[in-house]
Amino acid sequence: MEMKTRLVDKVNIVDIIGRFDANTVAPVAAWLEQMTTKPGCRVLVNLSETTFADSTGLATLVQAMKRAQQHQGEIYLCGMRRSVYMTFELTRLDKAFTIFADEEHALKAFAK
Amino acid sequence: MTVPQPEQVRLDLPARYTYLHLLGDCIADMLRLLEQMQDAEMVIYNIQLAVHEACTNIVRHAYENKGEGRILITLTLAFDPPQLTIELQDTGKPFDAASYEPPDLDDVPSGGLGIFLIRNLMDDVTYTPVPGHNHWSLTKSLLMKGI
Repeated sequence: MEMKTRLVDKVNIVDIIGRFDANTVAPVAAWLEQMTTKPGCRVLVNLSETTFADSTGLATLVQAMKRAQQHQGEIYLCGMRRSVYMTFELTRLDKAFTIFADEEHALKAFAK
Repeated sequence: MTVPQPEQVRLDLPARYTYLHLLGDCIADMLRLLEQMQDAEMVIYNIQLAVHEACTNIVRHAYENKGEGRILITLTLAFDPPQLTIELQDTGKPFDAASYEPPDLDDVPSGGLGIFLIRNLMDDVTYTPVPGHNHWSLTKSLLMKGI
């Protein structure tokens, strides 16, 4: 797994490339903890190059979402492949997260 | 017409997260022997995820993520009818099936999704504790195009 972070239009973006699972989750969890404890944080997780996401990866995103809400911030997800999205549907996390087809649409939503 | 004998692969992995990705490649390579499988990529991904979750549970709970122990894995691809069975064996702590509670999906769960995913992605899941080891069996029937 490779993780890239960027700042675009005051939105902190992380690209998760490859497998997002129990073996690789630690650096993403640490970055999300750092970002989502900032008051009014705006965080975007770009999953367009995420080939595999397990329950540990999902739990990490849920914890980040709950932390962001506690700090009046927002975390969006974008670019999910069909297979990864299926897991969100199965666990009903597709209803809990704000999910966009791609980064462009997510950034537009943050700008509103 | 003769039906091919089941294809079988056995793996003996250290119970560490590092090695679990190897299973995914093995599952994909076996299932690609079935050229006419319906929705192949999605089925492969679902089985990979279920087996990964089962192994993650063994590493985390049976072996308490101490970096010790091994997981013996037997993958059997049968052709008539087509189905994949994955058997997992470990010598860690038994799974406490009685105290397992499925996650409340209406309450945005941040844990406990592993067993839920295994049971929902596979057709048949059994856990059998026997003296000295634990045995999981996960089975998925595979649908062929045009059948």
